[in-house]
Amino acid sequence: MEKFKKSIKIFNYSKKEKISFFDGKMINLVKSHYNLCKPYKNMLKLFNYNLDNKNIKKIPPLPVSLFKNIDLLSVKKNKIIKTLLSSGTSGIVPSKIYLDGENSKNLTWVLTKIVESILGKKRIPMLIVDQNPRHSNRYNFNARIAAINGFSIFGKNITYLIDNNNKFKINELNKFLSIYGNDNFLIFGFTSIVYQHLLKNDISRKLKYNLKKGILIHGGGWKKLTDISITNKMFKDSFRKKYSLNKIHNYYGLVEQTGSIFIECEKCSLFKCSIYSDIFIRDKHLNIIEEKGKKGFLQVMSLIPSSYPGNNLLTEDIAEIVDSKKCKSCTHNYYGKLFKVYGRANNSEIRGCSNI
Amino acid sequence: MKNKIEFLIGDKKFSSKALEPFDDGVIKFLDELSVFLAASKESLEYTDIRTFAFMCRKKNLEFLKKKFSTSMYRVGVGLLFHITPSNIPTSFAYSMLFGILSGNTNLIKIPSKKFPQIEILCKAIKIKIKKYKKIEKFITIVRYSDNDEFTREASLKCDGRLIWGGNSSINNIRKFPMKEISRDIAFADRNSLCVINSSKIMSLTAKELKFLAVRFYNDTFLVDQNACSSPHIIFWEGNKKEEAKEKFWAELFNIVKSKYDLQYTGIFYKYNRLISDNLGLKNFRSYKKYGQYIHCVQLKNNMKLKIENLTAKWGYFYQMDLENISKIFNHTNANTQTLSYYGYTKDIFLKIIKQKNFRGVDRIVPIGQALDIGLYWDGYDIIPSLTKTIEIK
Repeated sequence: MEKFKKSIKIFNYSKKEKISFFDGKMINLVKSHYNLCKPYKNMLKLFNYNLDNKNIKKIPPLPVSLFKNIDLLSVKKNKIIKTLLSSGTSGIVPSKIYLDGENSKNLTWVLTKIVESILGKKRIPMLIVDQNPRHSNRYNFNARIAAINGFSIFGKNITYLIDNNNKFKINELNKFLSIYGNDNFLIFGFTSIVYQHLLKNDISRKLKYNLKKGILIHGGGWKKLTDISITNKMFKDSFRKKYSLNKIHNYYGLVEQTGSIFIECEKCSLFKCSIYSDIFIRDKHLNIIEEKGKKGFLQVMSLIPSSYPGNNLLTEDIAEIVDSKKCKSCTHNYYGKLFKVYGRANNSEIRGCSNI
Repeated sequence: MKNKIEFLIGDKKFSSKALEPFDDGVIKFLDELSVFLAASKESLEYTDIRTFAFMCRKKNLEFLKKKFSTSMYRVGVGLLFHITPSNIPTSFAYSMLFGILSGNTNLIKIPSKKFPQIEILCKAIKIKIKKYKKIEKFITIVRYSDNDEFTREASLKCDGRLIWGGNSSINNIRKFPMKEISRDIAFADRNSLCVINSSKIMSLTAKELKFLAVRFYNDTFLVDQNACSSPHIIFWEGNKKEEAKEKFWAELFNIVKSKYDLQYTGIFYKYNRLISDNLGLKNFRSYKKYGQYIHCVQLKNNMKLKIENLTAKWGYFYQMDLENISKIFNHTNANTQTLSYYGYTKDIFLKIIKQKNFRGVDRIVPIGQALDIGLYWDGYDIIPSLTKTIEIK
């Protein structure tokens, strides 16, 4: 397996630099998984993939749901140090992602670089809008715990805001703010949990301090909020109004590509690709859409996955690439793709029934 | 859990009454409903409503009544609690038809999703049933979700349940006890097959082929192949199988391209299923795709099929070669609902079934009629199943 190359130009790469850094490595990663993971090899063979191919657009993506049905590994099972499970609802089979030491190390490195682009290198006091996952099984992480653990390395003096009975710890928050509230601090949580505990339950009256110096990073999907018609803009506006919290970053990430998350531009709320990832949009015939502004399936690529073939995935999410010229903030020193995610392809159109 | 209950027709004072099956008042009401629906502008664009209206015509009901003729005295069991499927808009109406035609009072739980067809049908039922004082209280229609208390109460009160839906929802409803004497009729997850005579396909004219493909389309793509009676596995028997397959699928592809709206969910489903099958299905021999519309997976011959694992949807078909038509029932089991066919006379199936005492199938119908619903369903003869006999000697 090729050694993982580190780049310091995490977002401020030129188009040329991106291609020369990314494309060859992706092609080699495909070859490596082809040789090490038999199901992956069979999948490429099914679509008559030519191993001499140099064009990343021609690599057939693995459907992300395949990790639910089949164990996919590119290393021996005894090398696995962590298994990540997607946080599916009960009754739904979760995805299983197998990480070896090297893969874990690389994902932490990339995640660090991405988050540093927002927070800087210094660790700052941190609030986590969730329960303390300390008591969970170390070898079976679900996506939520993995994200909490992953992000907690960017903070210090960590305070968990939810107790074991799912109650919000308002006193702890006040205590934290009285000590650290005058300087930058990080707030991290899952989108729907942050919404539930800070926006749906308005705690602003019980709060003795504001959250002006806070930087909120949240992810995990909008499904629950879309169902009750809450948009990203409403989410941000409420935080601004209720808590004077202005710095809010949503991120898009899959447990199948942990580490190489897509973080949104603070101003225009579009997602950016780091130099370790790339995206394509595919139409209803599964062809890549070259024009901007057209919706289709989101395909995500990442250079991190080495112990499992998660390098090139077709998601069930619908997205579009947006013209980057409109926002001055994100185009400053960023030349990559900008995209918008609309959420899961709608299932409600299904006809027929379970019996007739 | 306790959530709000919406009564679309009737109120919480539903009770248990019964009539003889095919009551004159019931037939009159259904016929008026049929005329009203057929004439209503609102229902014009919904073929499913018009199909239902067509079934409720007096002429049809009288025909069914005549066919039913019995020497025994029969009467409805009383109050039926219907739990209808959440994803098909008109099945509650058929369930109601089954219930009221057999002389029962009906408490019908409808999908929580607000399909326009449901609103149109309920409005029509409400208007028409008012005229029939004797049966006015025979139909109660409710909409709720997550209200175990109501499900418990209704289950205890009713004389029978009609449970439509997936196996998990059937098992869930069965957790709620009924009176000892009450009966359950469950329409469980099923699979369906199709057998095609390839020699006959080869002799079809272009026009005949198109007609057949349209009928197959109606059995499958019209409901995203998601109905239990839509075929999941296609068997090919006869000469020139490969040519016949190509001829048939290519024609179907033409029809599907012009009529069917590709759905993201279905595209992803087929892409994922093809890869999973290629990696995990032992019977996988080869595949052929017609755009993103039709996926055909050719299964190896002479390998035991686990047909319950071979129920795909969205235009994803398994196919297998059959050396002789008499072998078709080797591949059916208790879960097989419908066998649709092309290129055979119906006598041949009866002959094979009788010869070998096969019972693993409920319906055998020509291609194009897989989704037709009558008074026989899932192996039940509906009227006797929802009535009781009173023996007088």
